[in-house]
Amino acid sequence: MNENEFGYRIRQALDEGLDQLDYRTTYRLQQARQAAVARLPAAGGVPALAPAWQTAGGPPVEREPIGWLRGLGLVVPIVALAIGFVGIYDYQESRRIAELADMDFAVLMDDVPLETYADKGFGALLQNPSDEQ
Amino acid sequence: MPSGSLAPAMATRDELSEFLASVERRAYKQALFAVRDSDAALDIVQDAMIKLSQSYGERPSAEFPLLFTRILQNVIHDHFRRQKVRSTWVTLFSALTPAGDDDADPLETLEALAGSSDAEGADDKVERAQVIAIIEEEVGRLPARQREAFLMRYWEEMDVAETAAAMGCSEGSVKTHCSRATHALAKALRARGITL
Repeated sequence: MNENEFGYRIRQALDEGLDQLDYRTTYRLQQARQAAVARLPAAGGVPALAPAWQTAGGPPVEREPIGWLRGLGLVVPIVALAIGFVGIYDYQESRRIAELADMDFAVLMDDVPLETYADKGFGALLQNPSDEQ
Repeated sequence: MPSGSLAPAMATRDELSEFLASVERRAYKQALFAVRDSDAALDIVQDAMIKLSQSYGERPSAEFPLLFTRILQNVIHDHFRRQKVRSTWVTLFSALTPAGDDDADPLETLEALAGSSDAEGADDKVERAQVIAIIEEEVGRLPARQREAFLMRYWEEMDVAETAAAMGCSEGSVKTHCSRATHALAKALRARGITL
């Protein structure tokens, strides 16, 4: 018997042996296969979301790739934060301008109490009105 | 053949699943021959499958057989490397661990494989199962490189060049390993009264 023939007969025996695997082993192999397929990268090159490494007996979790959604999930909070900052700044400016306008109006109408003129802060305000506008 | 792109189409999930289903049992047996531990062999196969999927999933499915064979061998070698490191620590604390683990390995494999045929009633089936178990045991006893070369050539039907590429050695070495494995296996089986 030459080497090839011997190899062929061994192969037959080994193939027969594969059919004798117990259920536990074949089940775990099936689980391993499913876990591996779940990790196949998506067509665009973005890896599919998959659970962390697990032992062969662990349950695989199939999840669909959501590449663009993940990108959107990062951009939306940043944009919302920027809009929030601009809104707060605008509101504070409007409020400050309204207060100054009320004060100017009160001075012009001579409605300001006498004590106000004695206040050092009020004097400084009158001397540098440009800083406050 | 695609006209606009040189890259062949990547494998689909179905192709990958189909490929893995076709090789998983053989891969498990190869790992089992090498590590002689069912759970470790299953973890090795899963590790190899995941590596193929994550690192080479974008390759066309036609490349999977060779890639998977190479990955599987690497994962088995990594297992032995880790085991070597672990055994260094185990040796240091050997007084605290029960002895006798090494002695059980060959027989465990034989018993486990023989035990799976208990449900079969017919004598000839039992006999055949025992012969297969002995063959598997003797294959498992071959030196690692000889066994790898032999299984790739004759079980996975890879040619000499593919086997050499997967094993990272020359074609001459593959032929030598195969020849030695064949003779050693034939001799061992003959000694146990098995003729093919």
